[in-house]
Amino acid sequence: MSLKLDPRTKLFMIFVVSAVVMMSATTPFLWAVRIAMTMVPITLLILEKHYASAFRFLILYIIALFLTFRFLSEQSKGFLMAFLVGYCSIIVQFMPAMITAWYVVRTTKIGEFVSAMQKMHVPDGITISLAVVMRFFPTIKEEYASIRDAMKMRGIMLGGGNAVRMIEFRMIPLLFSCVNIGDELSAAAITRGLGGKVKRTSVETLKMGPADHLLAALFTAALGVFVVFKYVK
Amino acid sequence: MKNNKLQAKDFITIGIFTALLFVVEFACGMLGFIHPYIVAAFVVLIPLVGAIPMMLFYTKIEKFGMLSIMSVLLAIIMFVTGMGYLGAPLIIAAGVAADLIAKSGGYKSFKKTVISYGVFCLWICANYFPVIVTADSYRQGLLDGGYSAEYCDNLFRAINSKTIVILLILCFVFGCIGAYLGKAVVKKHFEKAGIV
Repeated sequence: MSLKLDPRTKLFMIFVVSAVVMMSATTPFLWAVRIAMTMVPITLLILEKHYASAFRFLILYIIALFLTFRFLSEQSKGFLMAFLVGYCSIIVQFMPAMITAWYVVRTTKIGEFVSAMQKMHVPDGITISLAVVMRFFPTIKEEYASIRDAMKMRGIMLGGGNAVRMIEFRMIPLLFSCVNIGDELSAAAITRGLGGKVKRTSVETLKMGPADHLLAALFTAALGVFVVFKYVK
Repeated sequence: MKNNKLQAKDFITIGIFTALLFVVEFACGMLGFIHPYIVAAFVVLIPLVGAIPMMLFYTKIEKFGMLSIMSVLLAIIMFVTGMGYLGAPLIIAAGVAADLIAKSGGYKSFKKTVISYGVFCLWICANYFPVIVTADSYRQGLLDGGYSAEYCDNLFRAINSKTIVILLILCFVFGCIGAYLGKAVVKKHFEKAGIV
C-alpha cells in the first residue's frame, strides 16, 4: 500500500522535527517521544517503498543511539572519545531532521511542492528558488561523483598534495556543469510557464486526507510535549 | 535588460548557487566535529571556499533582490538542518545589506562587490548565535546530548560574547580576501572560457 501525504503535512513535519531537534531530550520520556518521532518518517519511507534508505537510516540511528547510551558521558575524554562522541551525538541529535528532510525530498514531486507553496501564498521567488534547491542536491552529488571519477583517472586524488589545487580541481568543473544545467533548467521552466504573467494552474490536486490530519495532530502533540517539558515545568 | 523585476531564470540561478553554497558550508561543517576550534575557524574557511561560487553568482546579478532571496533561503535551510531560528534575522539582514551595497555599485563595481561579499559572509556568524545568546542552556543541551565536557569547554573558550566581535570582523576581512581570490579564479577559468 502506498500512503500519499499532502506536501503541506510534510512541510509541517519538517518544521516540527527541526524545532524538536534543537531542544535536547533530558528525561527518558522525552527520549521516547523523540525516538517515536524519528520512527514516523522511517515508517513512511518503508510505505513509499524506499526500503534501502529506510533500513540504512534505521540501522545507523540505532547504532548511534546504542553507543550514546552505552558508552558516552560527560566524562569521556581523549581524542578518540571526543571524535566518537561528536559523531554519535550529532547523528542522534540531527538524524531525525535529516531523515524527515530526506523523506520529503524523495517523495515530493516538484509539481506538488510548487502548488502546495502556492496554496500557502508563499511568494513565487522563494517557491521557485527553493524548488530548485531541493531538486539540485541530487544533481550536485551526481556531478561531483563523475568529476571525482574523472580526476581519479588522471591520478588526482583527494588529499594528494596541496589543498588549494584539491579544491580548485573539484570546484571549477562542478561550477561549470552546474551553470550549464541551470541554463537548461530555466529553459525547461519557461516552457512550463513559470514566470508568466498569469497565475499558474497545477495538474496536482491537493487534498488533506485523514492520514494528513492524524500525522499533523501527532506532531503537534509531540511539539507541545517538548515545549511544555522544557520551558513550563 | 531594462526589466527590473526578477524572472524565472533569476530564481533558478539563485536556487543553484544557494545549493552550491550550502554544499560548501556543509562540507566545512563536517570538519567541525573533529575539534571545536575548527567551528570557530569557519569564519576563515567558508568565506574563502565559498567565494568561488559566490563571485560567479555576483557576475550574474543584475537586479535587486537576488542576494536578499538567497539569504532568506539560507535562513530556511539553516532552520531545517537544525541550526536554530535565532540567527535567521541576522542572516536576512546581512543578505539585504549586502544587496543594497552591491546595488549602490550598480552590481558592476568590483569594489562594492568586495564589500558586499564581506557583509554577506556575516551570515556565517549567525550559526554561532545560539551558542552565545543561550550560552548556559546550550551548554547543558550539548552535555545532555552526549558531547564531552572537554568539547564544550573548548567550544565556549573559542566562541563567547567577547570573541564574537573578533569573529565578525574576521568574517568580513576574510570575506573581502575571498572576494579577491574568487574573482581571480573566476577570471582564470570562466571569463577565458567565455561563460561569464
